[in-house]
Amino acid sequence: MTGLGNLIKRNCKLFFKDKGMFFTSLITPLILLVLYATFLANVYKDSFMSALPEGFVDTENIIDKTVAGQLFSSLLAVCCITVAFCSNMLMVQDKVNGVRKDLTVTPVKGSVLALSYYISTAFSTLIVCFGAAAACFIYIANIGWYLSAEDVLLILGDIFLLVMFGTALSSIVNLFLTSQGQISAVGTVVSAGYGFICGAYMPISQFGEGLRKVLSFLPGTYGTSLLKNHAMRGVFAEMADAGFPEEIVEAIKDSVDCNLYFSDSRVDLGDMYLVLIAADVVLIGIFILIGQIKSRSVSR
Amino acid sequence: MSENIIQIEHLNKSFGDVKAVSDLSIRVKEGELYAFLGVNGAGKSTTISIICGQLSKDSGKVIVSGRNIDDGMQDVTRALGVVFQNSALDMALNVRENLETRAALYGIKGEAFRKRLEELAEILDFKDILSRTVGKLSGGQRRRIDIARALLHKPRILILDEPTTGLDPQTRRLLWDVTEKLRRSEKMTVFLTTHYMEEAADADYVVILDSGKISAEGTPLELKNKYTGDFITLYGVTKQELDKIGLPMETVRDGVRIAVPNTAAATELIVRYPELFKDYEITKGKMDDVFLAVTGKKLVGGNEK
Repeated sequence: MTGLGNLIKRNCKLFFKDKGMFFTSLITPLILLVLYATFLANVYKDSFMSALPEGFVDTENIIDKTVAGQLFSSLLAVCCITVAFCSNMLMVQDKVNGVRKDLTVTPVKGSVLALSYYISTAFSTLIVCFGAAAACFIYIANIGWYLSAEDVLLILGDIFLLVMFGTALSSIVNLFLTSQGQISAVGTVVSAGYGFICGAYMPISQFGEGLRKVLSFLPGTYGTSLLKNHAMRGVFAEMADAGFPEEIVEAIKDSVDCNLYFSDSRVDLGDMYLVLIAADVVLIGIFILIGQIKSRSVSR
Repeated sequence: MSENIIQIEHLNKSFGDVKAVSDLSIRVKEGELYAFLGVNGAGKSTTISIICGQLSKDSGKVIVSGRNIDDGMQDVTRALGVVFQNSALDMALNVRENLETRAALYGIKGEAFRKRLEELAEILDFKDILSRTVGKLSGGQRRRIDIARALLHKPRILILDEPTTGLDPQTRRLLWDVTEKLRRSEKMTVFLTTHYMEEAADADYVVILDSGKISAEGTPLELKNKYTGDFITLYGVTKQELDKIGLPMETVRDGVRIAVPNTAAATELIVRYPELFKDYEITKGKMDDVFLAVTGKKLVGGNEK
């Protein structure tokens, strides 16, 4: 593991020094913020309010918290993936600008180099996402705090799992990229597209059945749902305390993707964890396997 | 007898239909300055990439510092220091950060790194720019850092892939002074690819590559003797006065240059026409003439003409 620590330090430094790469990774979360600030928050609020029967106390405050929870969880779900992709682009940039040659003409093994990219991407992404989570917690505190300590810990755990997922996925994709054009293309597609497929811009429940079915096969969908469940559990508890009918609460949960369905049966939180952890393990395994095959083909 | 520090036998490498290296066999002796000469696309960089483990070979055997590269590159890379054609440093990091990261890859850390950095900064004169961002350095400054990076782990072989292209004369001189010193003091082997004839002329052994194959090889003197003749430059005489010699000649600044097959032929002329040879000099052909004779091409900035 000679040089692993220094390589990780180098990779992290380069990510945070490259302002272009850093800000590109924040495009999707920023789009999301703009969407919520301009109209999405009002759309959600009106939609939830219209679903509620008359006569409940402090309805508006609870709905505001619901919308805040929705924004908060969507933003973090997107961040975990897009920041990981952008941070991991260093892996491709090193190939494009020739630095990779300089790193591989040393006694350091290819596996150590690959591990350094993985760890530094995960580390940089966690820093950014935990920072974003802190900002979100401050926002929630302004609206009216409703999270328990357990919720906060679970949210941080969800972020960790999603970051591992995003890092592993981007590591596999990046193994096949070799040019600046490909970096830009993948960066743009991920930044623009992931917000849609994870249900951040619009909940998956609003999509057509076919698309819903396709998205139910993507592990990231369950990661997003875990975040939504933990970010909004407190609000749902407040709804129950306020006497909202259970059907209404369940309907809201359905509409914001807290309840996910696979082949018409509801997926519980334990299974969501299982899917996400299994996806992390499988993707890391694939990354290691492809990396070994590629390095063997060069040394032969 | 010096040992062969690099030994390549029947090396082949193709990219699709293009044969980049064809049945190449070379032996580089320890401590010598070995030059690979050729136009762009002759196969120089491909060979280097294979030696460094950056590129797989199609067939053949490559032994570096006593180790076959097929048995793994880890020990081989410890023996190699490489200065790439284009700088391969991190442009966003400063000089110290770059060298620290690279040194750690060889296990050189802490006090050992500080000591080595001091030595290199002294001999390559970059003490003042240690905290400057590499991307903001001039071409010459960056080249000095490239060389320092290649020398960090005291390699037995220094590979220089067209190291002086676009460099100012001062940095070029510094590079050759440093490598010469290290060759003498540490018996370091220098494996150079270049398209500068004057650099190849200073090498101990030169291989001329053309289309992936060896066209000619030998010491610069052997190559000059084999592929070019001598030149006599006479001063203070006119072309008309030299007509009686009956050999091809050309007017140069302040004199006339006559091409002769070898030094013996030059001596014969001097003895036969002593009245003409009052002020003269005899020179060997240049590496440009060798290259032209061997490949039928002229080298201008790495491209054939």
